[in-house]
Amino acid sequence: MNKQAWLDRAAARGFDGLEIYVGRSAGREVKWFGGQMDSFVTSDVTGYSLRAVIGGKTANLALETIDDERIDETLDLLAAQAEIVASEEADVLRAPEAAEPVTGRTVWTAPTADRIIAALAATEKAILSADKRVKQVMEIGWEDSASGREIVNTNGVHVADENRSQVLYAGVAVEENGKVKDGFHVEIVPDLAKVDPAEIARKTVEDALDELGGTPIPSGSYPVIFERRAMTSLFGALTDMYSGDLIGKGISPLKDKLGEAIFSEKITVVDDPRCTDALRVLAYDDEGCPTRRKVLVDRGVFRTPLHNTKSAARMGAESTGNGFKHGYAGTVSVSPMNCSILPGTQTLEELMAQMGDGLVITRLAGLHAGLNHVTGDFSLQCFGYRVKDGKRERNVALITAAGNFLEMMKKVVAVGCDLDWEYRTIACPSVAFESCAIAGE
Amino acid sequence: MLKKEELARYLGLCMASEADFAEIYEEEETSETISSLNTGVERVSRTVKRGAGIRLFKGVQTVYGYSNGVDDAHLLPIIDDLRRALGETEGRTAPEVTLTEAPFANNNPVRVDFESVSLAERTELAFRAERAARAYDARIVKTQVTELNVRQHVQIANSEGRLARDERVRTRLSINAYAAEDGNFQSGSCNPGAGCGLEYWETLTPESAGEEAARIAIVMLSARDCPSGRMPVVIDNGFGGVIFHEACGHSLEATSVSKNRSVFAGKLGQQIASSCVSAVDDGTIPGAWGSENVDDEGTPQKKRVLIENGILKSYMIDRLGGRRMGMEPTGSSRRQSYEYEPTSRMSNTFICPGTDSYESLFEGIEHGLYARTMGGGSVNPLTGEFNFSVREGYLIENGKVTTPVKGASLIGSGAEILMNIEKVSDNLARAQGMCGSASGSIPTDVGQPAIRVSSITVGGTANE
Repeated sequence: MNKQAWLDRAAARGFDGLEIYVGRSAGREVKWFGGQMDSFVTSDVTGYSLRAVIGGKTANLALETIDDERIDETLDLLAAQAEIVASEEADVLRAPEAAEPVTGRTVWTAPTADRIIAALAATEKAILSADKRVKQVMEIGWEDSASGREIVNTNGVHVADENRSQVLYAGVAVEENGKVKDGFHVEIVPDLAKVDPAEIARKTVEDALDELGGTPIPSGSYPVIFERRAMTSLFGALTDMYSGDLIGKGISPLKDKLGEAIFSEKITVVDDPRCTDALRVLAYDDEGCPTRRKVLVDRGVFRTPLHNTKSAARMGAESTGNGFKHGYAGTVSVSPMNCSILPGTQTLEELMAQMGDGLVITRLAGLHAGLNHVTGDFSLQCFGYRVKDGKRERNVALITAAGNFLEMMKKVVAVGCDLDWEYRTIACPSVAFESCAIAGE
Repeated sequence: MLKKEELARYLGLCMASEADFAEIYEEEETSETISSLNTGVERVSRTVKRGAGIRLFKGVQTVYGYSNGVDDAHLLPIIDDLRRALGETEGRTAPEVTLTEAPFANNNPVRVDFESVSLAERTELAFRAERAARAYDARIVKTQVTELNVRQHVQIANSEGRLARDERVRTRLSINAYAAEDGNFQSGSCNPGAGCGLEYWETLTPESAGEEAARIAIVMLSARDCPSGRMPVVIDNGFGGVIFHEACGHSLEATSVSKNRSVFAGKLGQQIASSCVSAVDDGTIPGAWGSENVDDEGTPQKKRVLIENGILKSYMIDRLGGRRMGMEPTGSSRRQSYEYEPTSRMSNTFICPGTDSYESLFEGIEHGLYARTMGGGSVNPLTGEFNFSVREGYLIENGKVTTPVKGASLIGSGAEILMNIEKVSDNLARAQGMCGSASGSIPTDVGQPAIRVSSITVGGTANE
């Protein structure tokens, strides 16, 4: 693609601006099943996304084949789209801004195909011998990917960076007394030579054994601890409430709440695309705006929404550098990047001891449907275990936890110290709450 | 799109390896999304995708490569990678592959192609829904409508000589209506769609969809917290069928059955549901959201009877799953795009009409839940444990539908709930959804007539 020719042509035609976003991803995945390679996937995809601003209004077009001979035809399509967009949807493209460079801590070593196969075979063996209750290895796989983006626009923005990842994952089924449960583990692997298959097997099998023998408990209100993974899922599924776009539209539960105490003073929420503890770090967002650390909720008080350029302008604020796309073909929306609840000082065991009697919820299911993003109401299938006298008791399953997220976040007993980003861009420590409605027997 | 000779040449090269089967899937897709907020267009975006995926089998091993460069420069290195992944390629020559286009009936004709009408006319469909939602009640304060129009051309060629081409056209309106009263803010949604052109909106009007979204939002303003516990539940028709989709459908896909990862593996011919339950997966319904003429392996779609009077009759099987299971594929192989290796998936899946009257479903229930409209859900096929959310629910008290309730979810185990369906009425309706699984997100219809389940765990917010 001759990018300059496209930018020049858009300028000559009187467009306010044109942005070209090029996304490239390449990767391979090897899956292992029943003692042999099950599947192998290799990929290489480059996509182009054009964002034009014409008369203050925006149009979006994503293409997988770019034809430099058809610039005018393509720009015509964008002009026609912009024409029907409402005038209150005004937007502008970014101007160049310097950003402090930031790079992730991980140093990746690409393994050979033979080493990958050997690691998968060894992991399968290790899982099968990890515990006598192991019924079947469900899947084992290796995935590495490299992605890159380049953003240029008629204002002179030029941002380009790359991102890599390598993971080994495993899934297992365990059986006890005729009841089957599955477990899953994803391990980030900077260097496959340093991976211990027995350790991956232990984590995978433990995840499954953790849920064996779970039964419902009587319906009622219980003191609860959302263990870090469950807390991350619930908090993560509702991070759209901080979106300046949804707040501006009046469809976030945080509309008109700026400066108010929305959570317990024990809760501080931070979004930081530059956080090097996380796997993915970014100096710029997908509009070319520099990223920065923001305290969204400071000791319970809502301090700032997340913004992209458009949502910020609508609310008379500055972009927070949170204009991100989902894939090259997506349009820029407001998204968190490395967003977390700041950890406290207590371990999970200490939180359990403090709770005495209650319930630890380790996993939630149905998050895509069981949440009301407008009100913060939730009702979700969950798994966990009973706690008696501060100690872990029997496993619990086939129950739901329900409530209103904002109400619940006002009744925090304590925040744990066990924040762990793993491969995620949203993470939470375990959090203990006064109570939660549980439906079971 | 690649020419027949080019496809044959690539397939021949693929077979110069230890592969016993090779397939090329090529796709061109244009999709347009128009999003409106209240009375203005917020965003228009258009995406044109073009790419190809190449798959080789060696027994039950599979290798897959994809790229959006559909030419020698991109595809030859991929073919080379795939051949080497299956073993030694030295000394193997490319066999001749002759492709013959497989004829099939077009079940999904398009009368009004979305690009044959102007952008302004397309946008008007969204605005018609918007105006109807707003006119429904003065308490509707905000609306969001997303209109999606998609045209996908696919061609699938394989080393057995099959060549199939299909065009899939889809249209959908997703309406969110927001209602406010005394500081209480609630929403309702309606998401109809079809596998045909814009003529769909002549029979199902955008206005009716807008009004339905508004109706739910208004009802929810007066809803109280839902009680918790085990109780009888009446689930109404249409999207209520998500219960069958989650509790049973996914567990009948070869993806989980072929690797013994399903509660229903090895149960063909056995009773897995109450005898009043029959269910089908039918990819041939003309113009339906989940229909297509051929599946993504080029096999003609068909109607599959999954359960007949409670007895398990068939799984949904793709080519690879068929190899693992020693069974014939059922035309059930689907994928989101060339970026996904296909696998067994549902199309339009629903419980068939029964013989119970609608009124009789409520009779004799002292304390229960009436789930009028459902949200989505999910299932773990290995354990059969599922969950799904109730968007619009009501209490049933002494056989009568009474107060609306909010924030309810239903959970249970699929094997158990299918046996607990006590009554099936005759008001079958289907509704549209996007189903996510290993081969991506694909359009599927769910459906059922109203059913009564003797006991389900209802998870509500009320602390009683």
